[in-house]
Amino acid sequence: MTTMTIAKALNAGLRRALEADPKVVLAGEDIGKLGGVFRITEGLQKDFGEDRVIDSPLAESGIVGTAVGMALRGYRPVVEIQFDGFVFPAFDQIVTQVAKMHFRTHGQRPMPMVIRIPFGGGIGAVEHHSESPEAYFAHTPGLKVVAVSNPNDAYWMIQQAVASDDPIVFFEPKRRYHEKGEVDDASTPISLHQARVLRLGSDVTLLTYGPMVKTCLEAAAIGAEEGHSIEVVDLRTLSPLDMVTVVDSVRRTRRAVVVHEAQRSLGMGAEIAARLHEDLFYVMEAPVLRVTGYDTPYPMSRVEEEYLPSLDRVLDAVDQAMAY
Amino acid sequence: MQEFRLPDPGEGLVEAEIITWRVAEGDVIKVNDVIVEIETSKSLVELPSPWAGTVATILVPEGTTVEVGTPIIVIDDGSASGGAGVVEAQVMQAEVVEADVVEATGVVTDASPTEDGPHPNLVGYGPKASTTSRRPRRGGTGVDPHTASALNAAYAHQTPSRRADAVTPSHPVEARPVGDPLPRPGEAPSAALVLASPDSGPALAKPPVRKLAKDLGVNLDEVQPTGPNGSITRGDVESAAAMAHLASMPFGTPFSETPEFAEQVGATPNARAPFASGPEFTGSFQSGRLGGERREPIRGVRKITAQAMIDSAATHVHVTEWVTVDVSATMALLDQLKGRREFAGLRVSPLLVYAKAVCLAMARTPEVNASWDEETREIVYHDDVNLGIAAATPRGLMVPNIKGAQRMGLLELSQAINDLVQVARDGKLQPVDYSHGTFTITNVGVFGMDSGTPIINRDESAILCMGSIERRPWVVGVGAEERVEPRWVTTISLSFDHRLIDGEQGSRFLADVATVLREPGMGLLF
Repeated sequence: MTTMTIAKALNAGLRRALEADPKVVLAGEDIGKLGGVFRITEGLQKDFGEDRVIDSPLAESGIVGTAVGMALRGYRPVVEIQFDGFVFPAFDQIVTQVAKMHFRTHGQRPMPMVIRIPFGGGIGAVEHHSESPEAYFAHTPGLKVVAVSNPNDAYWMIQQAVASDDPIVFFEPKRRYHEKGEVDDASTPISLHQARVLRLGSDVTLLTYGPMVKTCLEAAAIGAEEGHSIEVVDLRTLSPLDMVTVVDSVRRTRRAVVVHEAQRSLGMGAEIAARLHEDLFYVMEAPVLRVTGYDTPYPMSRVEEEYLPSLDRVLDAVDQAMAY
Repeated sequence: MQEFRLPDPGEGLVEAEIITWRVAEGDVIKVNDVIVEIETSKSLVELPSPWAGTVATILVPEGTTVEVGTPIIVIDDGSASGGAGVVEAQVMQAEVVEADVVEATGVVTDASPTEDGPHPNLVGYGPKASTTSRRPRRGGTGVDPHTASALNAAYAHQTPSRRADAVTPSHPVEARPVGDPLPRPGEAPSAALVLASPDSGPALAKPPVRKLAKDLGVNLDEVQPTGPNGSITRGDVESAAAMAHLASMPFGTPFSETPEFAEQVGATPNARAPFASGPEFTGSFQSGRLGGERREPIRGVRKITAQAMIDSAATHVHVTEWVTVDVSATMALLDQLKGRREFAGLRVSPLLVYAKAVCLAMARTPEVNASWDEETREIVYHDDVNLGIAAATPRGLMVPNIKGAQRMGLLELSQAINDLVQVARDGKLQPVDYSHGTFTITNVGVFGMDSGTPIINRDESAILCMGSIERRPWVVGVGAEERVEPRWVTTISLSFDHRLIDGEQGSRFLADVATVLREPGMGLLF
């Protein structure tokens, strides 16, 4: 057990990946000498060399395209997209090459690649630096999408993602990078594609991931004082969705609220709500509610706290669910 | 003339640098004389000449990197192949090799007379190039002076993290695994991973039904489901609400005070526990699978009905009498009534006449319309005949009653019965519909039974049972007129509580009912 931040846990996990598998190669903008703008890869180029921790040109499409070639030749590239909003130049590579190569080659060529994306807002950044594009990727067959919320998951999930033969879009909650938590580096992690119940409750289940997990845990604590027993599920995996854990929880609580920063329409919440209504129509006491960002571009940082789901907005939704 | 092309050094290498010419133009050489030393990215290699003759032209100067297949030297072996013009063109191209080998290669290939001519094609794979199209790797000397000086000027005032011309040449990278292998990503959970919960799960109901249950104050976990897949229907909720209301009334039903009943209808959250997780439930589930029998927890309407029966049987002292009677006149009366405009749209059944007959008989024997109040040790005689009609509804036995039936005319009574039937069929009975009954008519005749010994309903004191009405041989007439005729014949029976109704009153009541049914006109006397 060690206490560290999510950033340090990711760094430690990447270090383990570089150690454990010589085929692991890191690439991204300023990840080498600088250690990345968030210092996630700090010290790795120094210890593993410029050939394995590569400072790439400022061209996301090139970074991912290069990684596709490396993956085809047996490497396990881990590429960093510096900010969520920068992934779109690489979108074509990701959805047409990364996602389809395994399928296209009749299963002959796996695509063991990790695309790390710091995502979400809350750091007072300018445009393109606070987005939540996870639904685009979760919508694309052939990609697996995960999101971490705490240091222990960060440490283990990045390693499991590297070990995966399928391409993983790996979302990191940038505003939680410096949240501390225990990392149990001795135990065996649960499956990468399994959700986890972080807090048990009986009245309503909050389904969330990434930076909103902390918000939801805080809301659950306040909710308990108000007399609501709130369960919190960290989805961890957005594609595939772990509907087994989700359904098991909601079958007990019979009410669900999905919380994410991304815009509401056609977001993860829409998919989860649809599946819950299909699976638990006869069980639900209330419709699945969503607490999300608004259907607007991410706003300027001065008003971003109005945009981001807050503890109050989560608890309002809980009250609304309980009122049915 | 022979032109010597840079041979493929193998191992996938596509280019090499000319390091040293071992021959000069005009030298005479033999086969296998070393003519040039080249360096690939892997090693230094000496190349021998395949021909004997005189070195005519050296096409590529030392220090130049050329691609495999590029002519590098022309040797005059006395043959006529190759032309001076070609060589000259190649010389010109070789001078620009350093700047752009790809372009030079292309020109040389096109000019080479030894290549097969390209095949024209419109679609699909075009003709293969004679050499790879991969770009050369430039060494440190590969940057032209203009670019280098421009870069130097650009970097004069600030130190970049990396200069554009700082290119590390390719080299093998040694890396060995250290430590444990990476943890496996694992599989997404399948439904099989979830342990089957011993709990039967929450009550299943559609959202509108949940809304109804909430509005009616019904705990869905207490409701016996009859819908598809064990789900609770709207009717189940209404029935449960009715039962709960019935049980909560202070009307003096003894069973409503028992703890089991309170648990059944109460809102306590653990009320379902005995059914949901008890050992009996698990055991019966297993035996149900093995033994070919089906077991259901006793709850809902069934439990309440059973308790009512037990209480009734335990408190009332049941006596049953019956009489067989010719009801042909009643049937004729019904035919007449059906033809009347007032009864249009109403279902006119024998029950109507029975109900009227009961009301008439009750006027002559009011002791039958009474209740035993154990608490106050009193017999309560009711003024109104609240006439209960036992009905088999989709949700079990229900006994709604008609309030003040004795005050109603035949038409009014008929409408009341029709309304009651309709409401019961729709499953919309309200608690008021089946509370405060004072007497009940039950009809086993609809099931083809002759008659029966009914159990008195709740805290009433008597119940009339209708048997089936059938065509039977019946002796009619007296003396010489006596004969057997087919008539409408039925058996009616009456169970009454012998604590407060003696045989005399009970018998008189039943006889009066039989009289009205036999001769409806006699009702005018009562």
